[in-house]
Formats: sequence, structure tokens, C-alpha cells
Amino acid sequence: MNRSWALIWAGISIGLLMLAAAIAPEHLGTIEPDRVLKSPFEVMPFGTDTRGRSLVDYATQGARVLALPALSAGVLVALFGVLGGLLRCSGSERVNAWIQWVTEIVGALPRMVVILVVALLLPREHRSLFPLAWTWALLAAPGAMDEAAAVAQRLGGSRFVEALRAHGYSASRIFLVHVVGYNLRPVVVRQGAETMMHVAFLEIALSYLALAENQPSFTHADSLKSWADLLKLGYPSLIPSLDYNSGHALVLGLLLLGLVAMSAIAIGRAARAR
Amino acid sequence: MAFKNAIRALTGLTLATLGTGATLAYFEESIPMSLNPLYAKTMADYRATELVFDRLWFHDAITNELRSRVVQKYQVAEAGRAVEVTLKTGVRWHNGQTLTSKDLCFTIKAMLDSRTPSPVAAHYREFIAACDARGPQTALIRFKRVLPNPRERLSFPILPASEFSSTAISPDLQFSARPIGTGPFNGKRGLRMVTFDAFANVHHQPKLVQMQLQEGGDPLVQTKTLINNNVQGIVVVPPPQRPDLSASDDVSMKSYDLRSWWYVSVNTNNPALSDVKVRQALNYVLNRTELRQYSIGVKPGEKNSPCEFISGPFVRSSPYYNASVPVQAAANLSKAEALLKSAGLEKLGGRWHANGEPITLRVGMLANLDHEAPDLLSQVANQLGAAGFDRLTSKISADEWDNSVMAGKADFDLVIGKWSFGLVEEVNELFSSSGRQNMFRYANAGVDAVLKEYDDAVTDTEQRDAYHKLHKILSTELPYLFLWKLDTKSAWRTEVRGNIVAPYYYFTEIDSWSVDG
Amino acid sequence: MLLPMVVPAVITGFIWSLPGDPASLICPPNICGGTEALARRWNLDGGAVQFFLGWLIDAAKLEFGNSWRLHQGLPVLGLLTAAIPTTLTLILLATVVVVTGGVLAAKGTLPRQADPAIRFIGLVPALVLALLGAAFIELTYGFDSFSSSGQFARLAVGAGVLGIADGAFSGAVLGTRSTFDTENQQRYVGVAILRGELPIENTLPNVAPALIGQMRARIVHLLSGSVIVEVILRIDGLGSLLWGGTLRQDFGVVLAAATLFAVVSSVLLVAQAVLETLVALHVRRSPRIQVRP
Repeated sequence: MNRSWALIWAGISIGLLMLAAAIAPEHLGTIEPDRVLKSPFEVMPFGTDTRGRSLVDYATQGARVLALPALSAGVLVALFGVLGGLLRCSGSERVNAWIQWVTEIVGALPRMVVILVVALLLPREHRSLFPLAWTWALLAAPGAMDEAAAVAQRLGGSRFVEALRAHGYSASRIFLVHVVGYNLRPVVVRQGAETMMHVAFLEIALSYLALAENQPSFTHADSLKSWADLLKLGYPSLIPSLDYNSGHALVLGLLLLGLVAMSAIAIGRAARAR
Repeated sequence: MAFKNAIRALTGLTLATLGTGATLAYFEESIPMSLNPLYAKTMADYRATELVFDRLWFHDAITNELRSRVVQKYQVAEAGRAVEVTLKTGVRWHNGQTLTSKDLCFTIKAMLDSRTPSPVAAHYREFIAACDARGPQTALIRFKRVLPNPRERLSFPILPASEFSSTAISPDLQFSARPIGTGPFNGKRGLRMVTFDAFANVHHQPKLVQMQLQEGGDPLVQTKTLINNNVQGIVVVPPPQRPDLSASDDVSMKSYDLRSWWYVSVNTNNPALSDVKVRQALNYVLNRTELRQYSIGVKPGEKNSPCEFISGPFVRSSPYYNASVPVQAAANLSKAEALLKSAGLEKLGGRWHANGEPITLRVGMLANLDHEAPDLLSQVANQLGAAGFDRLTSKISADEWDNSVMAGKADFDLVIGKWSFGLVEEVNELFSSSGRQNMFRYANAGVDAVLKEYDDAVTDTEQRDAYHKLHKILSTELPYLFLWKLDTKSAWRTEVRGNIVAPYYYFTEIDSWSVDG
Repeated sequence: MLLPMVVPAVITGFIWSLPGDPASLICPPNICGGTEALARRWNLDGGAVQFFLGWLIDAAKLEFGNSWRLHQGLPVLGLLTAAIPTTLTLILLATVVVVTGGVLAAKGTLPRQADPAIRFIGLVPALVLALLGAAFIELTYGFDSFSSSGQFARLAVGAGVLGIADGAFSGAVLGTRSTFDTENQQRYVGVAILRGELPIENTLPNVAPALIGQMRARIVHLLSGSVIVEVILRIDGLGSLLWGGTLRQDFGVVLAAATLFAVVSSVLLVAQAVLETLVALHVRRSPRIQVRP
């Protein structure tokens, strides 16, 4: 996939996600017992759930829960990666030591405990994926900073900067164009894209765990459905002995995750080194 | 007497050995959090402790009469303010020691000890004053007031004094995982399973050798596991799985009376909801028939429905239920609208407004009720929405329910819940202005007066009359919108015989259970 | 080496901020008395610092008390002793899967044409695979799904889920390949090829620090993911204790399990440092590279 196509794909998939989020209803539709577990061929476009409600609501509400928080977490991680790389280029041993120290502590924290505590601290009316996505991004930042720092180190760190300065480039050009733009870009953008995917996986895992533990949802208002509900509805269809016709829900859930993955991959491709 | 008891014990042991020798494995809603009956919180806890401990008195599952397996005789004393209890001899604890009056008084003292933070004990502290041992097997239990039928109130499990160093019983003692009781089984809690080993006694001769409890996972998988005979029973079958199990020839469905009723509690502190007309309007907004049909799967007109509508805070079979108060099964939106308008609300753009501000109702529901009545919260919200109210819905975790909602700190406008009254249908704590379980601090002088009548009553009839009045008042005042009484269903393989399911405690008659083959 | 002390301190701060307190969760003070006595017994009455210091002193003596709410009455030390080997086995098996992906990508064994399939596999969330795995085990083993064979099956499935799902395997493959692709564009690689050397012999020492950092991040990610997998598959490991303990505010269980997590992280850090040192020594030694005909 060349860069132009990658950019187009990224734009399309993110655009679709945002559109779905924008048209999501506030509440699920009414129950229609005659339309239980209908396939997409019987009830367009995505079929229905065990209560006869359209799966379009699930898809759009899930996008609303997920789209912006995942994107913002990816951006946050990328920014931290840039920071890590730039700090390594600064050549300050003290700064590097402090970062290392903070990185080690943050890296050693059990992430799910921190995420769960943040989720439990959120007031009910402010429950959303944003704080959890940003927390995840903060916890993932050390890894991104580490990798970006390693790339900067291989460039030569502060010696690379000095060499470019000797060529007469300004500081902003050196850091923004040569360090970040040419060298760190592929790494930090890939890290950001991976974080976007991880946040999507985190959301569906947390949504399921809240259901399983008889808790209110950790990531969204209880009136909304998540893509986890699609996957939970659909996975029994893979077990023949259960004889459960919910495969259309599973396929829809995986397609939606594929859309997020597509945008992550496309973003990574668009940002790769020439 | 001792010789007779020895013979009984020997017979019991022999029967257990020669009996079916079978193990009974079943799925529960959740693994019990504690096997200490003082810290039983969930129904799974109560059912598990019923296997390990004897309650002083219990209701026979078939005849409903009050019985005891550990009391030889009793006598009401001090003009109804005390009861003298003589325990049977030869009853053994699982550690081999014998049950004495010391254990009975220890249990009561532990419950009365202010250092025992037990929600179960809190109930008994309301009316039990003290316990004095009058002999090795005789104890006098004193009450704070006259109780018309004291045995009805003394259904607590007895604890062994020998297992504790003081009457301050903490929940994290090993006893919570390795309890010692006088019940038919000795329980051990593991991480994923609880094992109950039969313990024959003078008063228990279980036919099963062992019972094993596991937390059930996905309901679909549980159902298939039962049909495939990889487990013998499921205690609580969610409504969506009932048709499949009913259709199986190898499984029989049993009704399980949870002794509970469902409600929507109304926050009378909300200015809009403080007006009784608004509450009456909300009562007309709810279409209970539709709620029942779509959540529980009971079709209109279905006979022998496990879900009966109620019009007040008692179940229909209760002597306290006032049958003259009708049930509001269907919605009546025109009546609701008329009431709302007469309360001064305006409908603008299809939404109700109070003093120019749109009314948004914050509706909450205890999260684990979703298994018994799937989507009830969204359905109630949709009906409110259709009637013109904006709404925000939330599920409530069990901890938030206990510590915030029931403590009167909830910021909801409507709360959907289930009131489990066990075997004593006293509702004073729910509706008294100083009631500890009055979640929105509802206060009404007329209600308080009637509740005092109940407290002061010395006969069953007086109590009944007081509660009939209460039912009538509450059906008009509507601090709660009463929904229904819901029996749940258990599923057991047909090889399991004699499996009488007792209301609420479930395993009260476990001695008669056996497994063929 | 301070991590096993700093991490539980940080975690104490986090869980202390949770609404309510464990003693009140047993029974709200407005319903029953005895909550203050329980708070004293559990050292909750003097603030977070007092609690943490008391816990630390007891932990040094391996006295962790009994579980307050998660597995009420069971000794915490017993829970940990059972959980540690379970989680370590789970992570080790999952790491083997991930490392295998990285190695195959580095050696070029996995063709680029397989990338779409690998990406697709990475798309499958751990939730779906774990639910499938749990259903399969429960249907196969029935009530014996917690017997030793059932437990082993859960571990094996859990390791497979962890190592494959949520982009773990695909991330290792594609991340390693991307790192090598970027490095292969350096001029010295072209020179090495002209000299008849294999590119990987020249690039590996240079990308090794980045790869080691990547792999450590992936293992940390596996550790986080293990929480989800253990909860869904009902594996009694550290993750399950952490999750359940946090939800139920069972502070003793959470702190003990979090400390062990920190120990594992410390070990990983040390391993990373050792490996990076070895790589640096190797580069300094500048061993001659065999020229291939």
C-alpha cells in the first residue's frame, strides 16, 4: 500500500467511525420479540439481537464509546514518544536518569489495577472511555519513549544534533524535521496506532468484565451498548453444540474492530520512512 | 435418652454409608463470599450456610409449619418477653463437640456484640435483648418487647462457641472459609468450588455423601453442561435458558420461591416527585404486563405464572396482603397525563417540564437483577421516555447499593430493586421515617402511625390489620411503585430424587435428596 | 530494586482513593455497629501511610493475614503461593509464542505475503478467544473443569489467547520486521551486502536495544492482558487476584499481588539491562563476520 492510498484508507476508516459515532442513538430501540436473532438478510443491514433490536444501534453506540478516546490515546502516546526521543537528543544525563526512573515505576505498575481504580473513581454521570484511554496511554508511554529514545540514540543523540547545527540548520528545523519528522515519525506513529488498537481491545474487555462482575459499565453510560456486547452475543455461534444463531453479531463485531485496525495500519503505513 | 441418641447416630451413619453414596454437583449464581452465616449477604451465601448450619427454627418446606431440628422443647416466658429453649442432647458439631446452651447464648451474644459488624446480626439486635444459660441444654432468650410469635423471629443459625476466642466475630476469620456447624454437611470453600461433605448426626441423615458447588459461567454453557449430564443442577436458571431446559426430558424444572418482591422506589426528595400526583402518574405510565412479558418472558394470560403482580409491599399469598387494593397491570397514559397536568407540569415539545425546566429522571437498577429480568432497566426507561420524560439510566453495583443507596445517599430519582424479606415479612424498616432501609428517607405521619400499630400489636390479627392499612396507604402514596413477586426456576436432572426446594433457604430439606444410579 | 516497595506504595495511594472503605463495605455503619472495630483490626483507621507501613512491616515477616472479601477467611500467603506459578507459566508460554513470531520475522521465515493473515489473527480480541476457550473447556470437562487436567487446559488455552490475541503475535512479527526494514535502509547495510555479508549480522547488534525494549514492552503488555485472560478463563493467577481484589477493595490481596507484579517487572528490567550490556559488549568486540561466497 503506498502512502497516498494509506492516507486515503486512514481517512475513510476514521471518517466512518466518526460518522457512526455521530449518528448513534441515545437509547436502544424497543423490544420486538418477532425479530429475535434475525440475520442481516432478513433485517437489513446487520440483523437483530436476542430482543429483536437492530444491531445498527450496537455498532453506532460502540463507535461513539470508542472512536475519539482511542484516537486521542494514540495521539498522546505518539507525543510522549516524540518527547522521549527529543529528550534523548538533548544529551542531558540527569534528565535521562529521571525519565528512566519514572519509566521503570510506571512500567512496573499493574496496569489493569490502575485502569480499574480510575474507572471506579469516575462519577457515574462522567463515565466514559476518555479517562481510561488516557490512563492507558500514560501507562504505555514509557514503552514508546524507550523505543523512540533508542532510535534517537542510534542517530547519535546530541552528536547528531550538533552535526546538523554545524550545517547551519536552526534548532526547530533540526528537532521537528530531522529528528521527529524523518527519524522518529515511523516509530512514534506506529506506537500511537498500536495504542489505538489496544484501547479498542481494552474497551471491549472492560465492558465484558463489567457485565460478568455485575458492575455498572466502566467505559460508558449503561444506556449505551459496546462492541463487546456484539462479541458476547456472537461468540456462542462458533460452538456447534450450542446451536446458537448469532454469527452475524460476531462477524459485525470483528468487522468493526477491523475498521479500527485498518485505520491504525493505514496511519502507520502513511507515516513510514521513505 | 443418651442410648436412644447413640442408636440414632449409628443408624444415621449406617444409612449414609449404605445410602446412594452419591455426589451432587451443581452450579450456583456465584461462589459464596462467606460461609459464616453472620456475614451472609447474597442468596448463594444463605443457601450454602443452610447446608452447614442448623437454624434454631425453620419453616417446613411442605407444611410451612415452624419446626426445629435442635430444640427439644420451648416455653414462652415473662409474658411474651422471653422464651425458654431446651436443646436436644447428642447433637454434634462438625468438630465432634456437642451442642449446648452455651453455644446458643454465645451466638446471641456475638450478634449483640457491637464489635461484630454483621448485617445479619443487626436485624436480631432490634428485638433480642439477652440470653442466659439456665442449664447445659437450656437457655432463656430475652426480647426487647413482646413478640406475638417469637419462634418466627428466631431463625438464626447457631454458632459453636468453641471455635471463637471472643464474641467479636470478624469476617476475615478462617471460620468464613472453614465453618463448623451442626448441619448435614461440613463445608470447605476453595477458590472456585465449595465442597460439602456429609456429616451424619442424631438429627440429620443425609443420603448424599458429598455436594459440590461451582459458580456457573456463561448461561448457555451451563445449560448445555446440565443437559450433557456433566453437572446435576443449576440453582437459578435465567429466563432465556428456561425453554431449552423445560424441553429436555432429562431435566425437571423446579419453582424456587425467593420470598421477594420487585419495586421501583421513588425519590420523594426530588421536587417534582414529592407531589403524590406525579408518583401516581408514574404508576400509570408503567406497563407492567409489557415489562413482565419482555423481561421475564411471561405472556399475558399465562397460567401458573412465576411472576404475580402486586399492589403493595407484600406477596399475594401473605396474610398481610390487602386483596382489596387492585393491581395496575397495564399503562394508562391519558390518566397519567391528566395527573401530571393537575400537578402543575407542562408538556412542551413532547417533554414534561416543571417550572420551565425539563424533567430528567435518573433511573438506577441493582446490576445483578439483570440476570433475572434482562433489559428491565432499558424497558422502564423506554416507557418513561414514551410518556415524555428524559432519563439517564445506570446500573448499581452491589457495594454501591449497600453503602450508598440503602444508606440514603443515592442521587437517583427512581431505583429498581428487589426486596427479599426472607421468612419474616416485616417492612417497617423500608417505610418508617427512621427506617434503616428507607432509601430516600420517605416520611409520612400516617404511615409511621400504622407502623407503630404493628410494633405495638400483641396478636397476629392486630399485626395483619395494621399491615392491611399500610398496604392501602402505600398504594395511594406510592413511595414505591410495586411491580411483582417473581419466583425463579431451578433445573435438576431427573436422577436427583426427593429434591424438595424450600422457599428462600433452598436446601432446608436436603436430607431427603438423593441421586439415582 | 526499590520497585517492590515503591509500587505497593503507589498502589496503596490508588486504592485508598476508592469510594468507601473495606470495613464499611462489610456492613455500612448506619446499619450495624462494629465497623470502627473492624477498621482498627485492619489498620484502616490511621490513614494510608499508617496502613502501608503496617502492611510493609508485616510483609517483611511474610504475614499477609487473611483475605477480607475476595476469598474471605483464606490466608493471603496461600493464595499467592498458588497464584505465582500459575501466572508465571501463563506468561512464559505466551512469551514463547510472541518471541517465536519475532524470531521468524527477523529471519525472514515468515513471508510478507502472510502479513494480511497475521494482521487478521491479531485483530481477534482476547475477549472472544478467551470466551471461546472457556466455553470449550467447560463443555469438554463439565464440572471437572477445575480438576488438574482442566486447570492445565485452561492454562494452555490462556497462553495461546494471550500470545495470539490483541495483536500480540502480529505486533511482534510486524514490529520486528518494521524495525529491521527501517535499519536496512541505512547505508552501511548496503555496504555490508556488497561485502558479501548477511544484512542481519550487521543490523542485529544495532537494532537489538530497540528490539529488547519492544519485547519488554510486549511482555509487560502480556502481564496486563493476563488479568483479562485469567478472569475470563477463571485461572487462579495473580491477575485474577488483582482484579477481584481491587473490585472488592481487599487491600491485603491487592498489595501483595501488586508487589509480586513489581518484582516480575524488576526482573524484566534487569534482564533488559543485562541483554543490552551484552549487546554493547558484542558491538565493542567487533567480531569478524564471515563473508559468504
